[in-house]
Amino acid sequence: MKEVIAVVRINMMNQTKQALTDCGIDAFFVHEAQGRGKGFVNPEILEGVQQGHEEAASLLGEKGKLYPKRLLTVVVEDSLVDDVVETIIETNQTGMPGDGKIFVVPLGDAVRVRTGEAGEQAII
Amino acid sequence: MMIMIRSIIRPEKADAVLAALMDAGFPSVTKYAVAGRGKQRGIKIGDITYDELPKVMLMSVVQEHDKQFVIDTIMNTARSTGKGAFGDGKIFVTEVDESYTISSGVKETSAEETSEASEEVPA
Repeated sequence: MKEVIAVVRINMMNQTKQALTDCGIDAFFVHEAQGRGKGFVNPEILEGVQQGHEEAASLLGEKGKLYPKRLLTVVVEDSLVDDVVETIIETNQTGMPGDGKIFVVPLGDAVRVRTGEAGEQAII
Repeated sequence: MMIMIRSIIRPEKADAVLAALMDAGFPSVTKYAVAGRGKQRGIKIGDITYDELPKVMLMSVVQEHDKQFVIDTIMNTARSTGKGAFGDGKIFVTEVDESYTISSGVKETSAEETSEASEEVPA
């Protein structure tokens, strides 16, 4: 069982919901979130900052602007992870920075509160 | 190996922590508002008990060798002056199997990332 955590653009939510429904994923939940990524920063500068060079830190430019995003969490069986990831990438990809990230995290167990079912029965 | 660090901190400390992470060279982070309580069962002021206190959750994913540094940065910045106080928050650390950048479709897995890093050193 895996938890797929995706950060996506706000204006892509409707398409993403529709695409997930089309691929058979009905259950997920969404947080309103704000975030930032590496942005347009040169990776070499970033490496310099991580090594503690002060000149590199001053080259980073505009600091810490957070953009509004949606945080999407889907819990699925291992076999469906690739489908979900592929669907989210296909729907959200514009090729510009800021499209978001997807993380796949292992999950121990899930329980349906209504019936008390645990394991894979709980997420079908 | 990639590590997800989720920290629950005081809302008024969020800006300081975000700035500290940026200065330390870890700009990527996602922030969302949450409400919760700890083992002190919320806070009691007079007759009123507040059992859901507003907090901010920060989520960032880093390489394993940066884990301790990022945790220390968050912890030192988010802690109240002195020895700290109840309500300063918690940090949770979990492993991440795979991570994808949507704009490029690039996939990073825990295993690949370590092999890539070792290739980059001689170049």
